Amino acid sequence: MQDSGRTAPIMARSGLSEAAFAWMLISPALLFIGVIVAWPLAETIRLSFTDATLGGESYVGLANYAALMASPKFYDTVARTFYWMFLSVSLKLIMGLIGATLLNAAIPGKALFRILVMPPWVIPVAIGVIGWKWMYNGYFGLISGLLQEFGLVQDRVALLASKTSAFYSAVVTDVWVGTPMVTLFLLAAMQGVSRDLYEAAWVDGAGRWYRFRRITIPQIMPVIVSMALLSAIWTFNSFEIIWILTEGGPRGATTTLIIDTYKVAISSQRFGEGAARAVVIVTLLALFSLAYLYFLNRVNRYYGAK
Amino acid sequence: MTSIKTLSVAAALLAGSALSAQAEELHFIMCGGEVRPADQKVIDTFIGENPGVTVNMEAVEWGTCQDKSMQLAAAGDPPSLAYMGSRTLRQLAKNDLIVPVSFTPEEQAKFQPGVLSTVSSGGQYWGIPHAFSTKALYINCAVVEAAGAACKAPETYADLVALAKTVTDNTDAAGIGIAGKDFDNTMHMFLDFLYSNDGLVFDAEGKPALDSKNTRETLQLYADLLPYMQSGPIEWERDQMKDLFNDGQIAMYVTGPWGKGQHAEKVPSQMIVPIPHGPSGDSGTILITDSIAVFKGTGHEDLAVKLAKALTSGEAQYDLDSTWGLTPILDYQKAGMSEVYYTQDPWPVFVAGISTGGPEPMVEDFKSLQAVFTNMVQGILLGEGSVDELVTIAGQELAAVR
Repeated sequence: MQDSGRTAPIMARSGLSEAAFAWMLISPALLFIGVIVAWPLAETIRLSFTDATLGGESYVGLANYAALMASPKFYDTVARTFYWMFLSVSLKLIMGLIGATLLNAAIPGKALFRILVMPPWVIPVAIGVIGWKWMYNGYFGLISGLLQEFGLVQDRVALLASKTSAFYSAVVTDVWVGTPMVTLFLLAAMQGVSRDLYEAAWVDGAGRWYRFRRITIPQIMPVIVSMALLSAIWTFNSFEIIWILTEGGPRGATTTLIIDTYKVAISSQRFGEGAARAVVIVTLLALFSLAYLYFLNRVNRYYGAK
Repeated sequence: MTSIKTLSVAAALLAGSALSAQAEELHFIMCGGEVRPADQKVIDTFIGENPGVTVNMEAVEWGTCQDKSMQLAAAGDPPSLAYMGSRTLRQLAKNDLIVPVSFTPEEQAKFQPGVLSTVSSGGQYWGIPHAFSTKALYINCAVVEAAGAACKAPETYADLVALAKTVTDNTDAAGIGIAGKDFDNTMHMFLDFLYSNDGLVFDAEGKPALDSKNTRETLQLYADLLPYMQSGPIEWERDQMKDLFNDGQIAMYVTGPWGKGQHAEKVPSQMIVPIPHGPSGDSGTILITDSIAVFKGTGHEDLAVKLAKALTSGEAQYDLDSTWGLTPILDYQKAGMSEVYYTQDPWPVFVAGISTGGPEPMVEDFKSLQAVFTNMVQGILLGEGSVDELVTIAGQELAAVR
């Protein structure tokens, strides 16, 4: 009401109606969203109906989508992308929860540990991933060297040289990069849990595990779920980690949708086909997010969050 | 007085307009991240001989350079000329972004055999070759001799496998380094062996010819060599293998003339020999060139062609080849030079393969071509199919490459 009172004289002076004044206020945001989000999205959708390359474009209707739907490799890529996302996000959440719990515990040197958890997040991703790439190397890598040193393997282990190990190595690196942020968000949520709840439970004889299960987890559940959604979107579109480690190889074993899109749209400069892939990514992520938001809403209602 | 002032200003403006009409700036993108002194000398002379002309040199690393040039051109702001991989020329030509180049019969005769085939498509030349490389097999004799074998050139595929086996069986080193990474030189190395077995990627009419006995024999060579390769060949690209070679971890690998200098300090006993030939052919090599392409739509294409021709003319080109250590792109002896650098060891090995070598294939979508080869090579390295199956699939995939 007070705001209306303040704006009324402005509207009167400018001769604008209330609706026009409201549109004027939101127009910068609308313009920003239009230029940054809506126009590129609309342009991508338009391109996906063309055979655009460097030399020009012509309308091809649904041909790009039909080619995708007819390609068994594309379904493999979609399945691999979801597996990559679920595995990596699950590990990040588990590791993040463990890390946050430990950092929240009353242990000596807690502040130091909180700083030590930061480097994977603070170091530029490219630098960190190049470090991992060297560690995975069969000849010069730390991992192969240690495995041989401890007699666990006889020959060198080149982790990026086989399909399965390359995929899981990429997951490990992604988890390394992504866990600190999850940890810090969960730690912040844990620190917001009222001490009174723990003290009351302790007085009633509740053990550590019980308190963690029945107080900590329910209290931070909305943050866990929100973090999971954000992490899922970032992991789904995670590009640089896979690209630096394997470029999607060997034989497509680490090719996710975003890598496939890059290869088609940028490396091969088949912009129309690449745009169709980008539209598929947006659609899948939108559907996934909708399902997730529905779930988040239910979780918030169940745990009493506003 | 006012009239005199007005006239003076008008005269000054007219003079300025006239000067700006004469002034031309050529935007030259140089892939590789540096401008070689031999090129800079020619550019400086060119500027001196063409008053009002300036050359804006932009040296860009290989990783982004070719995409940058192409995208500038596609966006309507083309560079005047660019030094880039010849494999990009077909795509640029197909999209009408570069101008064709003509050579007089005398100019054509000066090039080494096969060089002009790396820049021709659709019956026209699309770039002026400016850097050339061929490949040879490097042997670390200290490792070979430690295995109890004599350090001599393996002449055939079978000799190569036998020598690699001897090294692997009798030392801690691997017999040979093979590139298997998702990278262009995985394809290049395979083509070195394929061209040493009289194989083809496309026939004379431009039709896919990869699905052949020659390719099967070459892929079988990879299968035979697999137990004697470095660990995890899929992790490795050719240029990284110099470290394995220098450390004595591999006894042999294939690379270009630059390898001699890269190994000289740590492997003084290196031997450089022709690539062993397969059962169906003679020793050959892939012929790779980088070229200067002149872009359309700048309004000074003729001037750009003039600069490109100056950079690639006899003496200037010799200066670049000899100082950079490249396989000679022109037959300088035919052009009248008597004392040429490539008659000395090890150059004859790199020059000998030219006549039997084959070009890096020119397609519109090079990355897809590369994927055909890496899929096939990685398939055999991972044991994911027989030679016959993998070559058949590669042939089908090649047919779909634009």
